[in-house]
Amino acid sequence: MKTRTNTEISVKSVSSNDINMDLSIFNDIEEDQPKIDSIDELKEDEINSLQSVGINLNDNSEAGKFFMYGTSIFTFLPQIDGVEIIPLKKAFVIYPEIKDKYHFKAIDENQDEFTQTAFKKEQNGYFIRVRKNVIVNEPLHTALFMHREMSTMCIHNIVVLEEGAHLHLITGCTSGCTIKGGLHIAISEHFVGKGAKLINTMIHNWGTDFVVRPRTATIVDDDGTYISNYYSVKPPKHIQTDPFTHLSGKNASAKYMTVLASFPGTYCDIGGTVLMDGENSGAELVARAVNHGGQVIQTGLLIGAAKETRAHVDCSGLMLNDNGIIEAIPGLRAMHPDARMSHEAAIGRIDIGEVNYLQSKGLNEMQAIALIIRGFLDVGIEVEGLGSEMAEIINEIAELSGHGE
Amino acid sequence: MLTIDNLHVDVENKEVLKGINLNIPDNEVHTLFGPNGSGKSVLISTLMGYPEYKITQGEIIFNNQKINDLSIDERVKLGLGVSEQRPPTIKGVKLKNLIELLVPGILGDEVFKRNMIDHYDMSKFLERNINDGLSGGEMKKSELFLVLITKPEFLILDEPDSGVDPEHMIMIGSMINETLLKERCEPMVRNSGLIATHSAAILNYIHTDKAHVLLDGKIHCSGNPAIMMDQIRKNGYSYCIKCQNNLMEDQL
Repeated sequence: MKTRTNTEISVKSVSSNDINMDLSIFNDIEEDQPKIDSIDELKEDEINSLQSVGINLNDNSEAGKFFMYGTSIFTFLPQIDGVEIIPLKKAFVIYPEIKDKYHFKAIDENQDEFTQTAFKKEQNGYFIRVRKNVIVNEPLHTALFMHREMSTMCIHNIVVLEEGAHLHLITGCTSGCTIKGGLHIAISEHFVGKGAKLINTMIHNWGTDFVVRPRTATIVDDDGTYISNYYSVKPPKHIQTDPFTHLSGKNASAKYMTVLASFPGTYCDIGGTVLMDGENSGAELVARAVNHGGQVIQTGLLIGAAKETRAHVDCSGLMLNDNGIIEAIPGLRAMHPDARMSHEAAIGRIDIGEVNYLQSKGLNEMQAIALIIRGFLDVGIEVEGLGSEMAEIINEIAELSGHGE
Repeated sequence: MLTIDNLHVDVENKEVLKGINLNIPDNEVHTLFGPNGSGKSVLISTLMGYPEYKITQGEIIFNNQKINDLSIDERVKLGLGVSEQRPPTIKGVKLKNLIELLVPGILGDEVFKRNMIDHYDMSKFLERNINDGLSGGEMKKSELFLVLITKPEFLILDEPDSGVDPEHMIMIGSMINETLLKERCEPMVRNSGLIATHSAAILNYIHTDKAHVLLDGKIHCSGNPAIMMDQIRKNGYSYCIKCQNNLMEDQL
């Protein structure tokens, strides 16, 4: 094993404040000029890229779809009463009241330069609403696709689940496989009504020079449930995100699961903050990272601010390369004496004894490593709505890791 | 089948095996006796090719091929199969995931896999993490099941009777005999094997052809398993140091 010199080792956190990003290298946000008129104009490699993030535009999903190709928008209308998918700007025209009700109401527009940009430019995206007590049984897919080299995509999405509604939203963010770099800014605001349940699965697959800034916030009312699954197969050069959930209602709950693979030259600061100020609300945050030599920051901050709140945060990382960094920062903040909170964190190499054992049963070394990684990523909690596409993605991360050892 | 010639092995730069000589022909199963710490598990791990066991001298020959430098899985492909004394727990990896990888690659026979799972009542373990929370008997059963489905030519068992209650012992014995069986119509023709044990409880269920006593990294004596076990029970392993092995060999 290569030994690092003292000068290479810093006791400072590797958090994003220390990373100087020159964002001026990216072109301005695209104007609203359609680039394609039909999805039939997509190239084969673009279709493959979409499939890599679990999106197939040609299946006839009853739940509908939303596809944004640069600034070109394609909406596949849902065939279920009570489900709406509308481009955000168009939704503001149809339902003028929603702008005051939802636009930058979960996220502060002055949170940072990216939210300010999205606020000033009034960016497009999707507005999805599921009406009261409508249960959508199959996932609703959305895809955000960057097709121009060094471009900037800035989008704003709003999802509203009315009382008792259920939805599994799967969003794939990617670019053409020949596109190396770009800046992706995504503002997402979710409003989960009383007794409603939103599963939000985000899958990323980026080129090597992308910078990605998702800004997500969710407000959950009484008895509501929010589940966030984040999978990153190929990370961008730099991603920083700290999705925030406010459990404002009684008995509300939130679960975050983050699974990512990191490679040399990449920086992934993936966090999660949950404020529990609804009585008897609960939050669980699970993060898993396999690191081939990049920098990974796993943060989680769960804040118990009401009676009988409960929370658990679990950050774990596997180091598969001598040069990478994983920093796990599981955070708990109790602001009420009845809050019950716990955390765990573990970082280490693959146990060579486990690899040897599996080889002694007949697997080769790569198969053994991939199987162990697949087990490591299978976090053992019920991941609702996790379909075959997600299992494939976990397999892909595991297989990549097996070959990388 | 398996020949070990003057095998010296270091573990963490300390010599643990100090010149082992052993020959196990086709159709023979041998027992390896020895007290705790005598080197039985080191010998087994070395036979399987675990990298922390460094061969400093000597040869391991399996089916006329020197296997000193082969990887663990290459040895398994050649026909070695092992059931470990203390297999690791692997978090998140379900037994069924391992079986799914093993069976298509080695047998390609879904019906065989299903029959084996039913026959050995393994369904309840399939969704559990490998070796996680299993009793001693369940762990041995799981280990032997994985060996059974890969059908090795040469079976290596490390303490298959340790931590096993009498009821499970019968089943473990049955599974070992099943693994050793080469052809159902020819019960006298068996696969070969090496069974390490210090309690010898498993020998009530399995016939072995010859026994060896390993003490301080060396084979001190070899002979009839039943007679040797009787001597060990009466006199402890010290009887072996008194060089009774030659006498016993002459009597056989």
